[in-house]
Amino acid sequence: MQRKRVVEPEDKIREIPAVVFLFRSCTGSLEYPGTESAVTETLRCLEVEPVTDPDQTCCSGYLLTCSAHTPEVSLAVTARNLALVERKGLDTYVFCNGCYGYLKELSHILLHNQEYLEGANELIARWGYHYAGKTRIFHVQEMWYRLRERIAAKVVRPLNGLRVGVHYGCHYLARKYDILDDGGYPTFHEEIVEALGGTPVFYKERQLCCGYAVGRGFTHREEIVQPHLFKKLKNARDSGVELITTVCPGCNVALDREQPNLRERYGEDFRIPVIDLAQLIALALGVPTAKLGFEANTVPLDDVLAKVGVSE
Amino acid sequence: MRERDADRVDNLDRLVDRYHLVENLESCLQCGRCTGVCPVANLSPSYNPRQIIRDILAGNKDRWLRSEEIWRCFWCANCYTLCPMDIPFPLLMMQLRYEALENRYGEKYFLPFRRFAMRALEDGLTFTPGGARGRERIMKLRGRIGLKPWPDISEKAKQEYRELFEATGAAAWMEAIKEEEERPVALTYLQGRITDAKKKGG
Repeated sequence: MQRKRVVEPEDKIREIPAVVFLFRSCTGSLEYPGTESAVTETLRCLEVEPVTDPDQTCCSGYLLTCSAHTPEVSLAVTARNLALVERKGLDTYVFCNGCYGYLKELSHILLHNQEYLEGANELIARWGYHYAGKTRIFHVQEMWYRLRERIAAKVVRPLNGLRVGVHYGCHYLARKYDILDDGGYPTFHEEIVEALGGTPVFYKERQLCCGYAVGRGFTHREEIVQPHLFKKLKNARDSGVELITTVCPGCNVALDREQPNLRERYGEDFRIPVIDLAQLIALALGVPTAKLGFEANTVPLDDVLAKVGVSE
Repeated sequence: MRERDADRVDNLDRLVDRYHLVENLESCLQCGRCTGVCPVANLSPSYNPRQIIRDILAGNKDRWLRSEEIWRCFWCANCYTLCPMDIPFPLLMMQLRYEALENRYGEKYFLPFRRFAMRALEDGLTFTPGGARGRERIMKLRGRIGLKPWPDISEKAKQEYRELFEATGAAAWMEAIKEEEERPVALTYLQGRITDAKKKGG
């Protein structure tokens, strides 16, 4: 495990906030609602109160990168959502790499192009919003790592050496100057897994993209996405991975939902369950499994739960 | 014949980068790290980010606008992560696709997302289920794990989201693209070389 980091977590999040703004994720609330629930429960467990706002909309970055609409609207939506947070004087914490990447990139474009910022602010001024760039944007995984000692102290269901293969997700690692670790070889998820009593597995393809790939699963599923995913999952299985964790519900969709299709096409049944890192932390911290929404998963978690000793 | 310095035309990248998001494109070293790390280039060698940049800087963008390749990009940004010059290639790809659509290429890769975007206009959220049964299933699941049956989004939020699409012309942009207008993709390396796996149904 590396010790020298690009940014020390204690520098990135200096004071642990008592209250944070939790940015709702569409996929994390609808496709795998257990993610939303686990993030909320884990934050509360760690004595950080998440605040949400019903006026927040989708970050709208995802459809931008599929060319479904033009950047002007995404810039205005970003300014509007972040202006809501600024009114509360809080920092923004997201639990989806998509939201993270787009909020970071779009706010960066706004704050470095006066013309775009004025244009967006003009559009949202009709409802009294103004975006000034004061709220800082974090991913909750940064909070998990910052509070790793607090987490380790609160583990009540240790993972009993469960072999976990982590998946960082491209849209986190691509923010190469803002993130906790070296984007080329990050290890902080593995350290969290160790703190929970699991065995991190450094499988070769762990940094390979999920293949959900900003919509290519809809347009290039058989041509590109499935051969790509096959490579990743085969490598994970051959390395003895028993569970994959993600920090992005979009990655979760690809890695979990495609497994039956890969079985049909290649005749190999991987059956590696895929959950959010927050769900794994919540599990180890003793949050009841009834709140973690594992029934939304295509690949069941029975073996994982048995190994951790959950009988529910 | 080898290009002479006097023939050089500057700022050809401006023809693609109309939003001024990839201002350092001309600093490209042609080192090819982007292509080495690209998961799509790995499976489909005719998709080559280094070559795309080279062609754009040489004023040869049209062959890519007409191609199938640009629609394969995962937008994973691994190319940017490794780029020694910090060129944000995905932002270039985004604009190449806009230009392809404006020239009526690649609509079939755009249309599935318009469907999602249209539904997002109603819900203020992306990827909500289309049918009543899908909605009911999710609401039950959310209820069971102690969440509100539907994500907490206000009517005000949905209304303002919709209005922003109209005010920026994004809604009009989506509606302007018609399926029947599509021109055939002229350059494609589609067949073979992707995988030897058998396709569904033989």
